[in-house]
Amino acid sequence: MRYTSDFLARSPESVLVGLSRTGNRDAFAELMARRQAWIRNLMRRCSGDCVLADDLSQQVFMQAWRSIRQLHDADRLGPWLKRMAINMWLQHSRRNDPLRGAGEHDDADSQHKDTTSVAVDLDRSLATLAPDVRLCIVLSYHERMTHREIAEFTRQPLGTIKSHIRRGTKKLQEELAAYAEPLEEAE
Amino acid sequence: MTTSHDLNLQKLFTQAEQDFRGDSFAEDVLKRIDRERRKTLLVWSVLIVLALAGLALLASPVFTAIGMATQLLPVSLVEIETEWLRLLLSPINSVAATIALGALGIHKFFRWILR
Repeated sequence: MRYTSDFLARSPESVLVGLSRTGNRDAFAELMARRQAWIRNLMRRCSGDCVLADDLSQQVFMQAWRSIRQLHDADRLGPWLKRMAINMWLQHSRRNDPLRGAGEHDDADSQHKDTTSVAVDLDRSLATLAPDVRLCIVLSYHERMTHREIAEFTRQPLGTIKSHIRRGTKKLQEELAAYAEPLEEAE
Repeated sequence: MTTSHDLNLQKLFTQAEQDFRGDSFAEDVLKRIDRERRKTLLVWSVLIVLALAGLALLASPVFTAIGMATQLLPVSLVEIETEWLRLLLSPINSVAATIALGALGIHKFFRWILR
């Protein structure tokens, strides 16, 4: 059954999930339209590479389409997608050394044509962090998860998470010192 | 800046977020989904055709084997002349009964060993 784009645009997410579970492609497209920016930004902060981030995000949504019948609680779409995205990133970084591109900023800059300079600088600074530290920082600052939530999510001890975030924050503060003053002035 | 949760960093993360409205991301995903669906359909079609071809080729020998087995299974192991005794022992005096009892015995034996 086909639904109008207006109906889908006004439908709550739980309805879209329900329709997607029945194989409704339009409902899934609407879900994607609502969630893509969040997932793509998350992947960009994780990978620091726009092209790779978009490719991984596409894979996340393809996996979501394939396994959406397993999502029994429609209200859990956000955490479900987030788990899928992080797992996708972890699988990718295990297959490929995530520090391989670290320090190669000149090449990376050419991929950031549509990105703000803040995003470029942030991604460049994130690239200097170790993969575990970087993931914790992204989950803490981008996803605004608490230390305890990150510990549960990554199945690492709370102490390790706190240490990673402390170390990562310090490093980012040094790398992004130029942004500290204007932001404080703006307040 | 402090080394705990840094508000300036938090602002930078927020500023770095992009909207992405108007690009072809969703269409690209849907195209990939359609392509994958077509590929799956093609693989299943080929498998079904191969299975049907295999069935057509093997149908004759399979039916012959089934026919032979059907004829063999009720054959008595020991010829008994007395009618009532032959009828009484018929459930165990056949190739089928021997196979069934053998399978049951092996099953019990393995369960006893693995206990």
